[in-house]
Amino acid sequence: MAAIGDMFYTWAADADVLKKGECGGAITALQQYALSSGMVDAVLAVRKGADIYDAVPTFITNPAEVAETAGSLHCGTLLLSKLVKDYLDSNKTARLGVTVKGCDTMGLIELAKRDAVDLDRLILLGVNCGGSVSPVLARKMIREKFEVDPDLVHKEEIDKGQFIIEYEGGHKGIKIDDLEDEGYGRRSNCRRCLYKVPRQADLACGNWGVIGDKAGKATFVEVCSKKGANLLDAAVKAGAVKTEPAIPKGIEIRGKVEGAMLNLGNKWRKKNFEALASDLWGTIGRETGRCIKCYSCIENCPVCFPAAEDLKGKSRMVISGEVPPNPMFHLRRFAHISDSCINCGQCEELCPMDIPLALFSHAIRTEGDSAFEPKLGKAPYTN
Amino acid sequence: MTLQYVATTCPYCGTGCSFNLVVQDGKVVGTAPYRRSPVNEGKVCPKGTYAHEFVNSPDRLTKPLIKKDGKFVEATWDEAYSLIAKKFKSYKPDEFAALASARVSNEENYLLMKFARGVMKSRHIDHCARLCHASTVAGLAGAFGSGAMTNSILDIAESKCVFVLGSNTFEQHPLIGRKIVQAKMNGAKVIYADPRYTATARQADLYMPFVSGSDVAILNGLMQEIIKNGWEDKEFIAKRTKDYEKLKEVVMKDAYSLENVSKISGIPVESLKTAAEWLGTTKPGAILYSMGITQHTVGVDNVKSVANIQMLLGNLGKPGSGVNALRGQNNVQGACDMGALPVVFTAYQKVTDAAVHKKFADAWGFPDGICEPKNGYEVTVMMDVLTDNPGELKCMYIMGENPMLSDPDLNHVRHALESLEFLVVQDIFLTETAEMADVVLPAACYAERNGTQTSTERRVQMWRKAQDPPGEAKEDWQIISELAAKMGYAKQFPYQSAEEIFTEVAAVTPSYHGMNYERLSKPEALHWPCPTLEHPGTPILHKEKFSHPDGLGIFTPIEWKPPAEVPDAEYPFVLTTGRVLWHWHTGSMTRRSATLDAEVPTGWIEINPEDAKALGIKDKEKVRAVTRRGSVEVPAKVTKDIMKGIMFMPFHFAECAANILTNNALDPIAKIPEFKACAVKVEKIMEA
Repeated sequence: MAAIGDMFYTWAADADVLKKGECGGAITALQQYALSSGMVDAVLAVRKGADIYDAVPTFITNPAEVAETAGSLHCGTLLLSKLVKDYLDSNKTARLGVTVKGCDTMGLIELAKRDAVDLDRLILLGVNCGGSVSPVLARKMIREKFEVDPDLVHKEEIDKGQFIIEYEGGHKGIKIDDLEDEGYGRRSNCRRCLYKVPRQADLACGNWGVIGDKAGKATFVEVCSKKGANLLDAAVKAGAVKTEPAIPKGIEIRGKVEGAMLNLGNKWRKKNFEALASDLWGTIGRETGRCIKCYSCIENCPVCFPAAEDLKGKSRMVISGEVPPNPMFHLRRFAHISDSCINCGQCEELCPMDIPLALFSHAIRTEGDSAFEPKLGKAPYTN
Repeated sequence: MTLQYVATTCPYCGTGCSFNLVVQDGKVVGTAPYRRSPVNEGKVCPKGTYAHEFVNSPDRLTKPLIKKDGKFVEATWDEAYSLIAKKFKSYKPDEFAALASARVSNEENYLLMKFARGVMKSRHIDHCARLCHASTVAGLAGAFGSGAMTNSILDIAESKCVFVLGSNTFEQHPLIGRKIVQAKMNGAKVIYADPRYTATARQADLYMPFVSGSDVAILNGLMQEIIKNGWEDKEFIAKRTKDYEKLKEVVMKDAYSLENVSKISGIPVESLKTAAEWLGTTKPGAILYSMGITQHTVGVDNVKSVANIQMLLGNLGKPGSGVNALRGQNNVQGACDMGALPVVFTAYQKVTDAAVHKKFADAWGFPDGICEPKNGYEVTVMMDVLTDNPGELKCMYIMGENPMLSDPDLNHVRHALESLEFLVVQDIFLTETAEMADVVLPAACYAERNGTQTSTERRVQMWRKAQDPPGEAKEDWQIISELAAKMGYAKQFPYQSAEEIFTEVAAVTPSYHGMNYERLSKPEALHWPCPTLEHPGTPILHKEKFSHPDGLGIFTPIEWKPPAEVPDAEYPFVLTTGRVLWHWHTGSMTRRSATLDAEVPTGWIEINPEDAKALGIKDKEKVRAVTRRGSVEVPAKVTKDIMKGIMFMPFHFAECAANILTNNALDPIAKIPEFKACAVKVEKIMEA
């Protein structure tokens, strides 16, 4: 029987899933099992769309279709949290299996604090995430830095500090540090992220620490909740996945990888936040002066809840129809999310005027956390 | 429950952004970012964020309507088709006119063009491109041999000097505005000329407010200063152009000295000097323009002047340069490409060319032939003919256009449409124009159809169907095909899908020849010209040579002329019109989108504080704006963001319609009306 804190190497029993899935296809097999056994009514995961740079959220009720979501996409910069709130949790009846990165997990936790999703009805299969790359920038990076036609690339991965591509006729890796120094690589919020292993999901899965004869053929699974333990036990019992205890040396290596990622995250925080501190008001004023009030930063934020439609446009200080809006448009949003910004980066990535909004709200949250007790209770994650 | 993301392209401006429609249990319930789009990378403007809100409006048209005794009565499709077929057959070819639409797909514009010329055998087909970029098509065809934006959106970011003239890019093409920002971050200088201190102006390094209608004088003056300083690209001029000496003769006249230009335009000499220096010494430079250049009686002159200065500077054929005519509507480029114009078939193949005429007659195979190989009427001319020569045009088929709000001098338009014997309007809502129709046909909106549309950068992209149309509404191509069949031409309209129509389009259209749905389904899609299946498409035009037979660009000397109507003692102010970020043209979609409507619920007239003070008008006071065409009551917005002497009105709002005031004076070549300058007076409304 699995218990919270246990760590396993896990792989799919089904030969097809084993082949299609990443590192043994454990997540695909677990989702498939959860759905076919009736533990959940539907699965929300991500599949490949037009190509490897196109991540598409997929809502699945037929277990046979879960295999379409096998494999990883590092250009998938989606956030599933608000999708769950807006479209899937509204009737508060369905039970969902959701594959989540750290930011998806944090977003769902913040939504649950506000009673906007019910975590009891979700089974969260967490995946370790070292960061993701925006699709269009990824293609530019591959063309310019790797000197490879991005259309010829059939697989990309981030491993041992490198961004690695496999393409027709070879593979190539370049150090992430070098790419990021030149403005490529992961999104800037991902660089600052300190939540690499989503231990607040029900299972935290990944390839870090899988060594020995299972290297590349199994997924490292850490049991994080009773719900997670139940799923794993049942899936093993039903013959959907196979497991063996993780090797101590593998656990140690996993810890080292995580530690290295956290160091890198702290390095970026220092760099970004110190630069911002040198001209805080000036930077915020200048950058938000381009705002065209598209509301993307609000609509896509997992912790922003727009007020009723008829209140959206107008207030004493934010006049409707004005572009750029009064700075209060931004200040009130920063205030609204001040102790809950999870640094998912959606506001910044989706800003049509490239305003570094996540940098601002992330700085506010981390500074706030360092000085005040949080109003909504201490977060169960650290970021 | 089902939940799907359907990636599609935006139905609003010509930028060609993509987003996902979120479809829950078969109904569109939201939008979500589509990050894989090379154009907008998942980012959208407010109209994109809320592009789902009007889709399932309760007042969508769901059944054909036939007007009986002045009232609309619901009808079956068969009743509607029978009536239309009977009426259409009763007219001679040239008594019929069709208006295609910059809002619907390429396939559907092509089909309406084929219907007008093949089924009705009429010469008269046009659409609202006439009202936005007709002068671009004519002007750039004259200068370069091809009438479209020369560069791609993405390469604007590589420019070192961006000159924006007659375009409020941040509000009208926000995701192109982003490229200006990116260029600026890469060190580019940004010059902005506009009578209003717009959101775009705020990002400029040099802002030059100027009197609407002085564009040619400004451009000639800048060229004079460039030549005086020897900043012209002598090699480019020598190798790639002709008639430079003719240009020089005009622009070097004393009339275009910076001092004189300053007097005409209101721009200080120092600003003009700085602009000329930046343009002359910072390369590559891109010029972005839109309606501020085109919507004048000198629209073609303005466009040719833009072409002149870019040839003078050698700013063509390379990334970060070019004449970037920003097309206003989602598929206005495509509707022109498809030959929904009175003088050309697809890809600007002339109707008067015997070989072209034969090519289309043969390809279509109408047993009784097609229209005569003669030019037809432009929409603005159609309206004049209707009022001035009653009985010449008798019936009209309008697909997805709303001239009763979009065209100049609305009282004139009403008079014109009332002169018709029979009017069919096909739309998604009962618009101001549809209300005047004899038969109204309910169409599918963008979320309910497959097809292609061509953005301002000539990128042909897919629309993907996310839900079924409401009630009995149908896609436009189905309606046109079924109507053609009813009229006895089922064989010429055998289509089962939009894709089949596109295959036919590609066959008869040289610049689309190498395109098919498989290629266009890739996120990058293809820029025309794309002549063969192996061709990668052409993001940047005129790299090695221009499209004229000799490969040379042609300088055209242009003299400045004032607008058709200038201020006088009775009408002392210049009125200019335009769009706002939150709304789209006649508002039929955006004003039904709750969020956009809450943001901007009605129109206004912008007045400079000094003018307002002299008139005794306060901010938000309702005033009467009067021109020689008519008058409207409209709230005043007193703001220092507009030049003294100039007033501005957005044209989206039927209750204070700017186009009641605008002037129907036309550019002699492009027949585009002068929306951007007329004489206006503003009066206080006296309480009775």
